[in-house]
Amino acid sequence: MEFLNTYLLSIVLAALFANIAIALYGVFFKPHYIKKLIALTIFSDTANTFAIYLGYRRWTALGSPRVPVLVELEKDAIREFTARAVDPLPQALVLTAIVIGLAVVLFLVFLGYVLYGHYKTLDMREIKKLRG
Amino acid sequence: MRSIELVVITVVVLALALLIAVAYENIIPSTAVRKVAEFYLYAAYNPFDLREYTAMSPEAVTSIVWDFRGLDTLFETAVFFLALIAGMALARGLYRETPQFKSEGLSLIVKSVTKITAPVIIAVGVSIGLHGHLTPGGGFQGGSVIAVAPMIFIVIFSVYFVLERGVAPSKMLVLRSLGLAGIGLTSVVLFMIALLRGSFAYVFQNMIKPGASISMPAEISGALISGTLWFFNFFEMLAVAAGFSMAFIVVVLMRFGKGE
Repeated sequence: MEFLNTYLLSIVLAALFANIAIALYGVFFKPHYIKKLIALTIFSDTANTFAIYLGYRRWTALGSPRVPVLVELEKDAIREFTARAVDPLPQALVLTAIVIGLAVVLFLVFLGYVLYGHYKTLDMREIKKLRG
Repeated sequence: MRSIELVVITVVVLALALLIAVAYENIIPSTAVRKVAEFYLYAAYNPFDLREYTAMSPEAVTSIVWDFRGLDTLFETAVFFLALIAGMALARGLYRETPQFKSEGLSLIVKSVTKITAPVIIAVGVSIGLHGHLTPGGGFQGGSVIAVAPMIFIVIFSVYFVLERGVAPSKMLVLRSLGLAGIGLTSVVLFMIALLRGSFAYVFQNMIKPGASISMPAEISGALISGTLWFFNFFEMLAVAAGFSMAFIVVVLMRFGKGE
């Protein structure tokens, strides 16, 4: 059981790395601006998942980790909660990062719109040729 | 060329997999990291032992976002604000808020379903936002959910339908500014009160801190609101929902003139 848990977590981690590789491939080699943008969102989402994953650990002998939300407002419940809940700090950082990421992607969409208005194309190979 | 790219990607993936396999023990952060998490979890809601440090919120994530690391979130809100302002600056002069022509939209079935589901989406968003200090969620998530509703209306009906109903970018800008002003006011309200009363309080203070005995109400008539957290969540929800609605509408409205 211990091995199985470790193995499943390793698969998740490896899949995240593969996702990063695919996203970087998309950002660097896809010629179209919108496709680059999509690859960029995949990259940022992968990074966010990775951060969440860092917070999740089988820390304790008390069993599986639990959500960092206190259900019973009692003294004993708080002690058990402290021992078992996952690290809330990465979650707090990711929560804001997602919204900021969305806002930045919206900015890039606006930028792409202006780019299209200027060059009449979003193909990066064409834009590189035009120079100015 | 394509085969070279494929080989590079494959090698990267295989190397990283090997790295994980070899260094698995070291990828897991050491238990020293856990001390920080334990403090946050212990202090999130603890009126019994840590009255001078607790945020009085059962939701540890929200207590970090708006209390323990509130200044971080304030600056992240500033980044959000600046990104949208930059986008609006790029769009300036490229859109008109007056409806240009009548449009039909999709079929009656889709429209009816949208009219039923859109209020539900908004209600869910508000619920997520206002219960942010009790359950998973908060202003950011609630605002993002609310912003889905105008987007659906734009797709199903048309952007002019949304404009005719009064959801114009300029009004959204006002609403968003109100939200941001609310966040600013909430962060200094205790400081101002303390100045008026001649006592001492920190900026961004929520509950009692050592040396600053003034506090926001943790609950109002039995309902837990966790002091500033509820207000921060509310105003952040307003700012995020209005900001994203504005950006979506403007993206769809942007047109280049015939001259270009």
